[in-house]
Amino acid sequence: MIEVENLSKTYSGFRAVQSISFHVNKGEIVGFLGPNGAGKSTTMKILTGYLPPTDGKIRIAGYDVVTDSLEVRKRIGYMPENVPLYTDMRVNEFLRFRAELKKVARRKIKERVETVKHLCHLKDVENKIIGTLSKGYRQRVGLADAMVHDPDLLILDEPTIGLDPNQIRSVRDLIKDLGKHHTILLSTHILSEVELTCSRVLVIHRGRIEASDTPANLTKLVRGGGSILLEVRAPSVDVISKIEALPNIEDVELILPSDGEWVQAKVFAKPGLDLREEVYGVVRANNWPLRELARVKATLEEAFIELTQD
Amino acid sequence: MAFWTLYKREFTGYFHSAVAYVVLFGSAVVQGFQFGYILQIVTEDNYKDQSILQIFFVWPLFWLLILVQVPLITMRVFSEEFKLGTIEMLLTAPVREWDVVLSKFFGALTFFLVLWLPVVLDLTALQVFSVPPPPIYWSQIGLTALTITLIGGFYVSLGVFTSVLTKNQIIAAVLSFAFLFAIFGVSLQRWVQHTDATLLEWVSYISAPEHLQNAVLGIFDTRPVVFYVTVTAFILMLTKSILEGRRLKG
Repeated sequence: MIEVENLSKTYSGFRAVQSISFHVNKGEIVGFLGPNGAGKSTTMKILTGYLPPTDGKIRIAGYDVVTDSLEVRKRIGYMPENVPLYTDMRVNEFLRFRAELKKVARRKIKERVETVKHLCHLKDVENKIIGTLSKGYRQRVGLADAMVHDPDLLILDEPTIGLDPNQIRSVRDLIKDLGKHHTILLSTHILSEVELTCSRVLVIHRGRIEASDTPANLTKLVRGGGSILLEVRAPSVDVISKIEALPNIEDVELILPSDGEWVQAKVFAKPGLDLREEVYGVVRANNWPLRELARVKATLEEAFIELTQD
Repeated sequence: MAFWTLYKREFTGYFHSAVAYVVLFGSAVVQGFQFGYILQIVTEDNYKDQSILQIFFVWPLFWLLILVQVPLITMRVFSEEFKLGTIEMLLTAPVREWDVVLSKFFGALTFFLVLWLPVVLDLTALQVFSVPPPPIYWSQIGLTALTITLIGGFYVSLGVFTSVLTKNQIIAAVLSFAFLFAIFGVSLQRWVQHTDATLLEWVSYISAPEHLQNAVLGIFDTRPVVFYVTVTAFILMLTKSILEGRRLKG
């Protein structure tokens, strides 16, 4: 659905996006992750044809974004960051206007507007002026606008920013639901959201793609995908030296401060290995009293921080 | 099709804003006052050689009104879109830049013409309540309407142009007033003593008051028509390039 090759964007000398390439297949929900200023919004604006790329090739649904911009725009539903809307219009009026503008067939306009109002729970504000609506409702009007022409691809820039937890949940469910029939590219800061909704994550940092994988696989990248937490009563020097002597161990870190004679340590194994049994073997061989032995799963947050830290 | 959708939105959008009603009200009051005043002079001094329209359209108040009306109508057309960020939403819909520029121009021009409807009402009232009713010269009325539309088109295009330059409506309004006043000021040369004859000839090419004076007399001159159409088209092309340029800059 989206094919991006060597896309670069330079704003008056500043390289916002540096030669990135990625693909999004039909039916995927892809999360675009990255710190502020990483180039997420810029990339999305280029995909929608609003900004021209400085270099590179982008095809959406087989059409070139630069040369076939109109065809591309017909197939995209885009919700910009901060959801700009005509504040003087009523919700119904606005959605009809947008449907007409996006070339929805005249006899289908009414039906489409009703459908998106129902999907985005806008029924009770349909006759209100947009300027008087709360942030949550405006966000949903923006989402309804993006979907009104039933596009193949939805590009959503921070769809849940500024919403309360209940609204976030309802937008998230909506996106998941939409993902059954649409391809979705969304950007966000909220990592739990990505874990819950996205089938794939693109991590972008300083204008480059740092990783592209499923959320589960990304967490595995973090120093072996997790660590083992160990708490025993033993001299700390012994704990470090004896466990490090095991094969396939990358690192042992002490967690300070220690609780009296009890030593807490974090054991990092090589990627993809579970060494709980071996570690327990060492504990038993040395007759250390054991209080805790557990696997700590890495979170997407840790993966994100590791990938985007300088 | 996209043009028509956008045009409807532009035109009806005026009736959502308080500024538009203030301008509409102010225009109606000024026009009514001016019409009544001129009517009084014409009847009391028993004018025989000049029609009421002839006096109405050279009256300084008429021109002052136009110079104020146009910036107030056009200041928001692009500035507001830039300020609210809605330009991004607008240009990521499948529309061409031309559709956007032309719809904004024609929307503003239509509203400008609506502002002159009170004069039509004034004239109708004069026709209905005078005994015997004054004669009507349709060709002169038609020509006057055409010339006002052409002049309005030129002025409105300038206003739309200044609006695309900035996201601040006030700056847009002040800029377009300055441009309009500078262009209008040139035509004031006619009333300056000891002006060079060749200069006056040049001035008559761009002097809106002179064009309107001729039209009211029923004199059809193609030069102003060509002038207004080309200049308006040129300014709209410039507007479109700047709109593209602003987008490309991000």
